[in-house]
Amino acid sequence: MRDALCASEPGIGLVIQWVILAFLALSAWLVLRTGRISLGQQAYFGLGAYVAALITVTGQGTLPWALVGAMFCAGGVAGLVGWLVRHLSGLEYAMATLTLAELFRLGLSGMEWRVQRPDGQWVGPEGTQGFRQIRWLFEQQFSQQAYLALAGGLLLVALIALLQVERTRLGLAMQTVGLDPTLAQAQGVNVHRVRMWTQGVAGALAGLAGGLYAHQVTYVEPAIFDVMLGVHAVGYAMVGGLATPLGPLLGSGFDLGLLEATRLFEGWRMVIFGGLIALFLRWRPRGLLDEAALHRFTLLIHPRKRHDRTTLA
Amino acid sequence: MVWLQRTVDGLLEAGPYALIGLGLTLGFGVMRRLNLAYGAGALLAAYLGSWMFTRLGLPAVWVWASVLVATVVVGLYIDLLCFAGTDPANAGLQRGQDTTVGLDARQVTALAASFALWMQLEQLAVNWQPSHVHPFPDVSATTEWTLGALSLRPDRLATFALTVVMVWGVARWIERSTIGLGLRAVSSQVAAAHLSGMRVQRLQRIGFALACLLSGIATCTVLSMDGQVTPMFGMWLLIKGLAVAMLAGLGAIRGVLVGAMVLGVLESHAQAAWGPLAREATAWALLLAALLWRARRSRTDRLGACLA
Repeated sequence: MRDALCASEPGIGLVIQWVILAFLALSAWLVLRTGRISLGQQAYFGLGAYVAALITVTGQGTLPWALVGAMFCAGGVAGLVGWLVRHLSGLEYAMATLTLAELFRLGLSGMEWRVQRPDGQWVGPEGTQGFRQIRWLFEQQFSQQAYLALAGGLLLVALIALLQVERTRLGLAMQTVGLDPTLAQAQGVNVHRVRMWTQGVAGALAGLAGGLYAHQVTYVEPAIFDVMLGVHAVGYAMVGGLATPLGPLLGSGFDLGLLEATRLFEGWRMVIFGGLIALFLRWRPRGLLDEAALHRFTLLIHPRKRHDRTTLA
Repeated sequence: MVWLQRTVDGLLEAGPYALIGLGLTLGFGVMRRLNLAYGAGALLAAYLGSWMFTRLGLPAVWVWASVLVATVVVGLYIDLLCFAGTDPANAGLQRGQDTTVGLDARQVTALAASFALWMQLEQLAVNWQPSHVHPFPDVSATTEWTLGALSLRPDRLATFALTVVMVWGVARWIERSTIGLGLRAVSSQVAAAHLSGMRVQRLQRIGFALACLLSGIATCTVLSMDGQVTPMFGMWLLIKGLAVAMLAGLGAIRGVLVGAMVLGVLESHAQAAWGPLAREATAWALLLAALLWRARRSRTDRLGACLA
C-alpha cells in the first residue's frame, strides 16, 4: 500500500484502516473545535509512523512502547508548533500548518539513518525510499484480529475520553474559544494555552494513528504524508460534523466505506469527495452531525428530555 | 564567478516567479481571498492546452488562448463554490469572527473549500490524461548570450521584461482604474462599498477572474519555456506564488518583483549548496518565515495602536 487513503485489502484490513483514518480525522476535528483549521495533521501522522518504526525496528522495542513514543513525540512537537504559531490569524495559521507539514515531508525525504541489526540486516529510514521492514506484528505473530482489537480499543478509549472532556470546564472552554476567542478571553480563558494543549493532544492522536499505520503496512515513505492526506483529515471532520467526536468517524466511514471500498467510483473518488467537501463547507459548514442534528438525535434517544422541556414551558 | 552566475540565474528566475505571484497577490493580497486551488486550476488548463497541442495539432497561439480561457472558467467555478458570499460584512454578523486581523471564520472555511477543490481539480486532470509528461508548445531559446564570463538565456530575459511591464500595468490599473479602485474599496470596507452603491459581488468576481487570468499567463509563459507539463506543476505554481506574494508583503503589487528576486536567488544558491531538495525547501521555509514575520509585525502594530 502506497497511499494511506486507499483500501488495500477488504475485510479486517479495511476496518483497521478506517480506525487509523478515524484517529487522524479526530485529530483534525480537535483543532477545528478550537476555531482553527490545520492543513498539516499529516505531518504528525508521519512523525508518529517514523518514531514508532524506529522504536520497534531500530531500537528493537515493543509495539506498546512504540505507540506511546509516537504519541508523546508527535504531541510534543504539535504543542510546540501550536505555541510557535499562536499569534497567527485563521488564514495564516492554516497556511503555516501546511508549510510546516511540507517542510517535514521534505526533511523525511532527506533523512537517512541506517543501522545494522544483530541479524546483520540493515534497517532504518532511507530518504525518499522510505522505511522498510517494519515487521513487529509478523515477528510477534500478531494476528489481524488482535491488531483490530488493539486499534479499535484505543479508538474507543479516545472517543470516551473526548466525550467526557466535552462535559467538563475544559471542553466548554475549547468550544468557547472556537466560537468566539474574544469572549473566551473576557471570561478568563487563556485562549493561547487552550489552543496549544488542544493542538498537542490532536498531534498525539495523529501520531498514534501513524504508529498504527506503519505497523499495519510494514512500509512507509515520505510521499504518503502529502497534502492529500491533510485534505482528507480535515474533510472527514467537516463532512462528518463538528458537534461531536462521532462526526469524524462518520466522515471517514463515508469516504473509505462508501466511496473507496465499494469501488462504485473507481478512480473518481478524489474528484467526488473533493467536490462534496466544498459543497458541504458552502451549504452545511458544520457537517452532517452539526449541533441541530445532534440535538434532534438526542431527543430521539431520550424523549424524556423533550417531555421535561414541554412541562417546563 | 560561479557565485555570480548563480545569482544572475536566480535573478532571471524572478521573471516567471513574479508572474506567478502577481495573480495570488491580486487574489489574496488585495481581495483577501486565498485560493489554494490556484495551482490546480492552472494545471487543468495546462492539460487542456497540451491536449489541444498534441491531439488537435493547434498552433501555440491557440493553445495559449485556450489555456487563458480555461483558467478563467475554472476560476469562476472555484469562486462560485468557495468564495461567493463570503464577504466579511455578512460574516461579521455571525459568531466565530476572528478579530485578530479582521479575518473571519467564513474566509477560513472558504480556504478549506479551495483546499478540497485543489484535490478535485488535480485528480480530474490526472484522470483525464494519466501519463506523467505532456508536451506543451516550446518557444525556449536554443542559444545563450554571453556577457563577459556570464551566460544569459534570452527567453528568461524576455520573460523578465514581460513581467516588469505586467507588474507595472497591473499596479497602475489597481491604483487608477475604476474597477481597480473599486476592488480596493471592497477589500478594505466591503459594507461601506456596498452602501455607496458599488456592485460588490460583480467587482469581486471580476477581480477573481483577473487573478485567474494572470495565473493563465504565468502558466503559458513557464510551460512554453519548459516545453512540457507534469502533474507536479499545480503544487509548484501555488507554492512559488504564495512565497513570492508573502515576501512581497501581500497586496504590494510592485513588491512582487522584489519577492521573486529574493526567492530566485536564495533557491539558486540553496540548490548549489545542498541539492534539489534544499531548493524545494527554500520556498516553503521563506513562506513560513514571511507568515511568522507578518504575524509578529501586525501584533506589534496592534499593541502600538492600543498604547497610542
